[in-house]
Amino acid sequence: MLTTSPDNAIPSPPPAGLPADVEVALELCALSLWYGERRALESVSFAVPARRITALIGPSASGKSSLLRCLNRLNDEIADCRVEGTVLVRGNDVYAKGVAVHELRRRVGMVFQKPNPFPLSVYENVAYGPRLLGIRKRRELDECVESALRSAALWDEVAARLDDSALALSLGQQQRLVIARALAVGPEILLMDEPASALDPATTLRFEELLHELAPRYTILLVTHNMQSAARVSDYTAFLNQGRLIEFGETDALLTNPRERLTEDYITGRYV
Amino acid sequence: MKRVAAGHAGTWLVAGATALCLAAMLGVLALLAGAGLSTFWPSRIVELRETNGTIAIGEIAVATDEVIVLRESERDRAGGGYVRIPRIAIASRTEPDDAFVVALADGRRLFGRDDASIASATARDAAASVAVEETLWPNAIGVVGRTGVFLRHVGRFLTTSTAAPALIGGALPALIGTLTLVLLMSLIVMPFGIATAVYLHERRGWAASIVRGAIANLAGVPSIVYGVLGLGLFVHGLGAGIDRWFFSDRLPVPTFGSGGLLWAALTLALLTLPVVVVSVEEGLARIPPGLRAGSLALGATEGETIWRLLLPAARPALLTGLILAIARAAGAVAPLMLVGVVKLAPALPVDASFPFLHPSRQFMHLGFSVYDAALESPDALRGIPRAYACALLLVGLVVALNLAAILLRNRLRERYRALEG
Repeated sequence: MLTTSPDNAIPSPPPAGLPADVEVALELCALSLWYGERRALESVSFAVPARRITALIGPSASGKSSLLRCLNRLNDEIADCRVEGTVLVRGNDVYAKGVAVHELRRRVGMVFQKPNPFPLSVYENVAYGPRLLGIRKRRELDECVESALRSAALWDEVAARLDDSALALSLGQQQRLVIARALAVGPEILLMDEPASALDPATTLRFEELLHELAPRYTILLVTHNMQSAARVSDYTAFLNQGRLIEFGETDALLTNPRERLTEDYITGRYV
Repeated sequence: MKRVAAGHAGTWLVAGATALCLAAMLGVLALLAGAGLSTFWPSRIVELRETNGTIAIGEIAVATDEVIVLRESERDRAGGGYVRIPRIAIASRTEPDDAFVVALADGRRLFGRDDASIASATARDAAASVAVEETLWPNAIGVVGRTGVFLRHVGRFLTTSTAAPALIGGALPALIGTLTLVLLMSLIVMPFGIATAVYLHERRGWAASIVRGAIANLAGVPSIVYGVLGLGLFVHGLGAGIDRWFFSDRLPVPTFGSGGLLWAALTLALLTLPVVVVSVEEGLARIPPGLRAGSLALGATEGETIWRLLLPAARPALLTGLILAIARAAGAVAPLMLVGVVKLAPALPVDASFPFLHPSRQFMHLGFSVYDAALESPDALRGIPRAYACALLLVGLVVALNLAAILLRNRLRERYRALEG
């Protein structure tokens, strides 16, 4: 296992931290990001294995969310945000010229920190994405909605009230609904930005079970600052501090036997 | 000295202010209702016998301590029947049961009794040459009968056309004109207002600042200036152009080149644009940014996000904008006088003949009817109550339109309540 130092030159792929036989879904090469003059990410490089859960940990303002929003180019929405380096999804640079951003975002879904269901019915929330794709027939939409809700382990709870407002659901249900909404457009990669932070402990456990169920089919990159959660759900972990990738490796190894002093300080709670 | 708790005093202050507002509103409504509806109530006919032997028959218009102003038969023209009689010259005052009033189609009214007196004979003669609208014996009927007459008058006011001097006719053309104008204005102003608000919300640069400043200034322009603008831009500019290109065979008679419903609606749309833009922009700004990000993250373009998510979520704000626009438009009379409102329109702007809506036609408007009845009436004493009646109808129309929009908005709010919490 190797670590990436920010002073390194752009590393040549395959990047550090992964065994050579692991399939890579997403790769970051020397990714830097500025908000105006402030540098939020400094030459971050690592690879996210396909159909595994990768946790992104680190203290507040370490650039975790910024990194996540680079991957589906949601940072494009921020006026003074500037990105350098490359992000490869299945080998294609998402920042290359002529990339259809909405196509990219369909392949790279996102779940936000606070559940953000649309002020529509449960059904229309899930059908929102398929409708964007041009699906109009009621039967096709019904199938899409049902399979997405089943995948998100929500179908049994909402099957009887698909026409009710999504805002009437509990927070845990709303978060699973948002996942169903993301799944309905058929993404390969799911980016999750502290998806469990608004949930109570019991709901969080349930949510983590769902992540395990999704893992064999989707590549999941999960931002969390809950170490226990990272330990429970993730296969790989990346530790980010002040915009730099400090360490990346298999979760068990990283959490029990960190290479870097900073990582050890952070996971043992001595971090200041 | 005892110190009053600030919270206590504050409560009284705000409650007092609210009560004052409420009282002012109820006062206006009571005044409009009282003064407006009195015009439909059949007044009693009196017969005054003067000391010199003259007999005067009519209804009392004004009564002071010294004189009585009697409204006698209007033999020549409407409003020409007033006589002042000093109280000392009155020998006797009776209210004979057989006294009648004949309302003629030209707005005149004649008084008489079922006897052979000269006054009665004159009334019958005059009535013979003009169509009779109604003959009443108000002294002979009781309260129930008077209420019946009152209701019949109200019904006729609401459902019949306006007569030449607008004293006896109905207000239906003005009611339809106002309603059509407001609806057409809404259809024009909402798309433009929403589009502008979306632009201002999505683009925050110097260009948006200039547009925002321009719109804020539009809100401060006096409404008569919009009338002048509408006359110059729409009627003489656009309208004359349309006539030259499409209706040249009818020139010099203008089709669109004179004031009409379309130009009035466009003028009012300009007038109400600022309120729509401001309230829709505020509504868009209230939508949590997470919704927008959620939609974009699903692969929606900016346009799809606005069209499918943000505008539907901002529907309560759209309706608020519409309510404010209707209130402002229905109250604006000054600009309309320049762009198409007339005292008496020969035809309604909507009718059963194709294309059903006639945007080039001149039209009548309740607000203008108020002005017309109050200041241009041939009979000021009968004109003022009629102005009140028109004003009451206008207020009723605006309240009804707003109520419909508010009910719709409240139903939508139910759906989005959790969003605002």
